[in-house]
Amino acid sequence: MESVEKIVSLLEEKFGAQRESLAKWDACVVIAKENLHAAVKFLKNDAPAKMEMLLDAAGIDYLTYPNHEGPRFAVSYAFKSMSTVGARVRLKVLVSEADLKVPTLTDLYASANWLEREVFDQFGILFEGHPDLRRILNHCEFVGHPLRKDYPAQKRQWLSTSDYLVPELEKRLESKGYKVIERSEEINPVDEEFLEGSRK
Amino acid sequence: MNNEAEKPNFITSSLDFIVNWGRTNSLWPFPYGTACCAIEFMSTEVGRYDLSRIGSEYVRFTPRQSDVLLVSGTITYKQAPILQRMYEQMAEPKWVIAMGACASSGGFYDCYCTVPGIDHIIPVDVYIGGCPSRPEAFFDAMFDLQKKIKDESYMKMRTERVKEQWELIKAKTAEAKANAAAMAKSKIADIKDFAVEKEQKLIKKAQFWKE
Repeated sequence: MESVEKIVSLLEEKFGAQRESLAKWDACVVIAKENLHAAVKFLKNDAPAKMEMLLDAAGIDYLTYPNHEGPRFAVSYAFKSMSTVGARVRLKVLVSEADLKVPTLTDLYASANWLEREVFDQFGILFEGHPDLRRILNHCEFVGHPLRKDYPAQKRQWLSTSDYLVPELEKRLESKGYKVIERSEEINPVDEEFLEGSRK
Repeated sequence: MNNEAEKPNFITSSLDFIVNWGRTNSLWPFPYGTACCAIEFMSTEVGRYDLSRIGSEYVRFTPRQSDVLLVSGTITYKQAPILQRMYEQMAEPKWVIAMGACASSGGFYDCYCTVPGIDHIIPVDVYIGGCPSRPEAFFDAMFDLQKKIKDESYMKMRTERVKEQWELIKAKTAEAKANAAAMAKSKIADIKDFAVEKEQKLIKKAQFWKE
């Protein structure tokens, strides 16, 4: 598409981005961490085809990837334009293992909140400035990040009691103007009582 | 009135038979549906297959009113404590059916998040294969469960329960007796000590006056 090609060339000019040669089917652009936020802002507001929608944020672990050089992790953002039909762009940020921080996009896209939480949960990439960076898919007692290539595939982690989400709920209610009259308390479970058969 | 009294209006039977007959023909399921097996269960329950033909008339959505916990679907580690709690909340007598490959063995999910079979958490009576299992398979499982219930003996379970209680009472009385004996012993020892002290004091007094 013309507008997408234009966007790619503009990104290359303005933000020092590079087009990914391996991506055959879509426009994928590799961009530096520092320029990510500004580039996304440009994509959303000023680009020839405005990208109003953040479709997905996906983590990538290149640990066992053949012929790969460079940082171990990457985060890939997929954008879609609602005003220009069919225009899509992918932005990729390379993240090294030593410095796992990436600027957040939650101030630009509301959908980035949960997407970034998922990437944090599965890959352990930290999003700077995220309002609520917690695990979203795995349980609260989970140790490690399961989609990393060095996570043992047969490893199992039991949960002793279900996640206690009431404080979060109360916080959200209070932020919407409700008043919490009685605060609930978590009943701490006794160690001997639950999941005795599952401990191995 | 007269008429009724003339005809015999009672039957004789064993209590076990009557209780089991009642239980087998009113198995109310509690559907714990987390995946596509639950859809199969819906079609089992409604018109075409009609589970109420064998007495499972009501699907109860509260563990307090149901007899059979029907786990149909994948159970993840995040969900395991919830399922266990559901099972614990059900009133006796209770049975569990693991419907489909996922509930029975984890199915093809061999990964960090799926429980490899719900028998790691709760006891299971009947397993059903299939992915998802067909309504016919579900009926077969229900018949198996009915057979199993018919073999159970209410009276035996009751005697066992009474025995347990009797042993508990025995143990408690023995404990109380031992406690009382220990108390008495300590009291007797106290009194003895007291007497010895008094004697010694008297002896001292007598010696003092002699001097």
